[in-house]
This record gives sequence, structure tokens and C-alpha cells, in this order.
Amino acid sequence: MANYKKPIPEPDPHSKPFWEGAKAGKLMLPRCADCNRVHWYPRLICPHCHSTNIEWFQGSGMGTIHTFAVQHRAFGGWADEVPFVTAYIDLNEGDRMFTVLRGVDPNKPESIKIGAPVRVEFEAASEDVSIAFWRAV
Amino acid sequence: MPGALSRAAAIVGAAEAKEIGYPETPKTAIQLHIEAIKAVSEQTGIPISRINGVFGAGWSSQIAEYLGLHPAYIDTTSVGGCSFEMHVHHALAAIHAGIIDVALVTHGENGWSQRATGGRGTGRARGMDPWDPGSLYTNPYGVSGAPSNYSHAMTRHNHRFGSTPEDFAHISVVTRQWATLNPRAVMHSKETHPFGGPITVEDVQNSRLVSWPLTLLHICLVTDYGGAILITSPEIAKSVKTKPVWIAGAGESMSHSNMLEMDDFTATSAAASSAAAYRMAGMGPEDMEMAMVYDSFTITAGITVEMLGLAPRGEGFTLWKDGHAAPGGRLPINTNGGGLSFNHSGMYGMQLLVEAYRQLSGTAEDGVNGLKGKQTSARSCVVNGTGGSLSTTGTLVLVSD
Repeated sequence: MANYKKPIPEPDPHSKPFWEGAKAGKLMLPRCADCNRVHWYPRLICPHCHSTNIEWFQGSGMGTIHTFAVQHRAFGGWADEVPFVTAYIDLNEGDRMFTVLRGVDPNKPESIKIGAPVRVEFEAASEDVSIAFWRAV
Repeated sequence: MPGALSRAAAIVGAAEAKEIGYPETPKTAIQLHIEAIKAVSEQTGIPISRINGVFGAGWSSQIAEYLGLHPAYIDTTSVGGCSFEMHVHHALAAIHAGIIDVALVTHGENGWSQRATGGRGTGRARGMDPWDPGSLYTNPYGVSGAPSNYSHAMTRHNHRFGSTPEDFAHISVVTRQWATLNPRAVMHSKETHPFGGPITVEDVQNSRLVSWPLTLLHICLVTDYGGAILITSPEIAKSVKTKPVWIAGAGESMSHSNMLEMDDFTATSAAASSAAAYRMAGMGPEDMEMAMVYDSFTITAGITVEMLGLAPRGEGFTLWKDGHAAPGGRLPINTNGGGLSFNHSGMYGMQLLVEAYRQLSGTAEDGVNGLKGKQTSARSCVVNGTGGSLSTTGTLVLVSD
């Protein structure tokens, strides 16, 4: 954990349930209690119906690959890990997350399939912050 | 006698965030914005979804994204404390012109709370982009700059339409052909750059991988640039000795700010901004004799011509592959050599405008700094700028007499 050399987010107060969930290995998602739609990234207001009645729930932690790329150039701590795959993940509950995708071969991008199922996992980057990563299943 | 804009609009509501001054618990700037916006919506009964113009001092696109809005007018004029008075002025003009009819002028700034939050959510957060609420969920993942984002759009286009990176490589090849006709282009020849002069699809595909599927030659240059244009009233335009290029149409739009919120990775808001520009001009894509489209990457240009109606969906790259966009083709595109081979300074929109003026005014071969470019016979040009991560677009329809 002390060796985590990549960017560590500094959570804002509005997304506390997500970061606490991440620490406990749970994918917590924001949902509008009025229109019942999930949104990502977390907001103080529903981007669909503009209700401020936002609730948090534990998601399934499952999704599919929407699109991806293979990074051959990176900076800071990520520079040591090139090539690596970045991907946008369609959550089973709706909306989309960004991630570094695990369990795939960055040297064989043609073997990575859009639409393939993925599962979330968490890595402790510091005592306070765990980061969500997705893995091909 | 009152001016034409007098009484063209009215302020119909005004509200504040729930807690102002010295809040008990620290607030973020976005929180202050949202509380005030929600309040004025409730006060007036005007739904937030009804807002079609967003005015703020520096981060209007992020506010619009946060609200899930796709406004038709976005103003980030940020010139100090008087900015908001100016926003009202701009909104009046925009409303008078019929572009929008509900303008939001908003401000949130946590001068007090930022001391307690160590700068978070204000303008000086560590490591993340404080003006971009989505960055907390993208920046930890090793993306660095535009190439690492845009590559995801290429992958999706290839998946959805069966296109290939080789198809898009033709954009680089043809754009380089234009650069060889423009001595000011960085990649004009071996004299201007060791890797200048004509290139092939193989050269593009065999160049260094930066962010698969994008290789180096799918990506624009990084150069210096300075440019300026003058716009005048018709009366002045008719009286000066230079030739006028008329702004026949204009439009703007956005689909997102952070790519995390890009709904369709194969489309941009240029569909909306060009529709507005064509409508204003009373012209359509079929009337365009050339095009200047932002080519930060081959994928940017390829998608954009689809959005502008110059090619069918999924087939934008064929304009280059089939030679139509090339010198001597039926629809010259990026006649200066583009951001790919002429010049790209980071924000390339001015280069588009300067070349469009030179072409339509018939002065491309008069030269700048004594160097001649390649003149086309075009009398109409659609110009499209793309900002952010395929996020924001502005489209102009320019014509000459």
C-alpha cells in the first residue's frame, strides 16, 4: 500500500458513501429516489430529473466493456505499467465508469471484446482510499 | 429611441445557496452553485431542464454537464467581479437573437470553506481537476492527455461500423498531401522537418503506438501558433479594401465535458451545432464546397464530417480514402495541412478560421510571410471546431460573394 505510486483521489464530501464502500469492498452507487435512475459520477442533483433526493445502494459490481484502448505512454506511477488497458464499463445498473481493466492482454487488443462481462475489485491505495478496478471474467 | 435590444429580456428570479457567509460545515463550489440553481428554479417554477443557455465565470460546461443539460449557448466569460453583469448583457443579446430563451447565470465560490477543505472543490485540489467533478473518477486510471482519451472513440467506431484504423490512416495521408502544398506547414517537406513530405498508410500504421489503436501519425502536431481575424459590420465590410467572407450561419453545442459522460463514442455535438449553423444560413451540407474540420486526431475529423452531414454515418473516412478530400477532389478538406501536418498549438480553432478566410477570399496563394499556399475554387466552407474530449463544438458556415 505504501508502494502505491499512482494518483490517489482525494474524495469530496458528497461521495463519501462510495469511498467508504470501496474500503469495505462494496460498489456503492448513487440513485435518484424520485426517478429511480442510477447516475455516475456521483452528484448532488439527479442529472435526469433534477431531484436532489439522492440515495446510495450497493451495486452488483458487474458490468460490460463499452469501449477500450491500450495505453503505451503514461506518466508518473503509471509509466512503469505500460502497456495497460483502459476501458469504459457499462454498469449492469446503468450509466458508465472508467477504469484500468485487469485480466486482459494489452499486447493482444484484438482478443479484448466490447460487450464482454467484467467484475469490480478494489485496491487499497492508502489507509483511507481504495480504488475500483474492473477485471474481465 | 430605444436600441433594438431594449426590453428584449427580463430577469425573472434571483436566489442564493442555502448557507452563505461562514457555513458551519465546509461547502464546495459546486454545492453552492447547485443550491442556488435549485432554489431559483423552484422560485420561478421554471424547470432546470428548460434552461438552454448557461453563463458562468470559467466552468460553464461542467455546470451544464452536472445538470445533464445540453445548452445551445455556453458562456464562460471570466474577467473578474464584473463578469456576471457581462453575462446578463450577453444573455440579453442571445435571447434577442432568438438563440435561447431561458438563460442561467450562476456562480459558486467557497472563499471561506476552502480553508477548511484544504482547497478541495475550489480551484486548487491536489492531483485532480477541481473544475471537473468527473475527474475524481477518471484521473486515477493512468490517462494522460488527449491521445489516451480519443483512442477509446476509435475503438468504438471500429466496433460499431466495422471501420479500421487503416481506414482512418487515409485521413493522415491525404492531409499530408495538402501540407506538401503549404510551405508554412511543419510537415511540408524534408526541408521543414526530418519526417516531412508525403506519407503512406503503412507509414501511419507503422509509426509508434501511443494509445492503441492510435499511432503517432494519427495524432496532431504540438507547435506554436498565433492568429487573429477581424469581424465587422456589413457597412464596414463593404468599405474596406479586403474581401468580405460572410458569416452565413453559426451554431454551438456540447454533449459532455469529461469523456466519462460521452453517451455515444462515435458521435459529437457537431450534429446539433451544424444543424443550427445550416439552418441560420439557409444552406445544407450539399452546398458546401470545402470544409475545415478540427483534426486533433484522425478520429476527430472522421467523426466530424459524419456529424456535418458531409458523409453517411460510419463512412466519414471514405471522403479521404476515396480521394474526395484531397487536392483536386470534389470536397477539399483541411487545405492547410490540418492539425495533423500543418500546425496544432493545443487549441487549433484559430488555424481553421485563418485558412477558411484565405481560401474563400481567394488569397491563399498571396502567401503569408511571403510563402504561397494552395488555392481552391471554393466559395462556401463549413468550419467545425471541437473542444475537450470530443466534448464541445462550434460550427460556422462561411461564404464569399
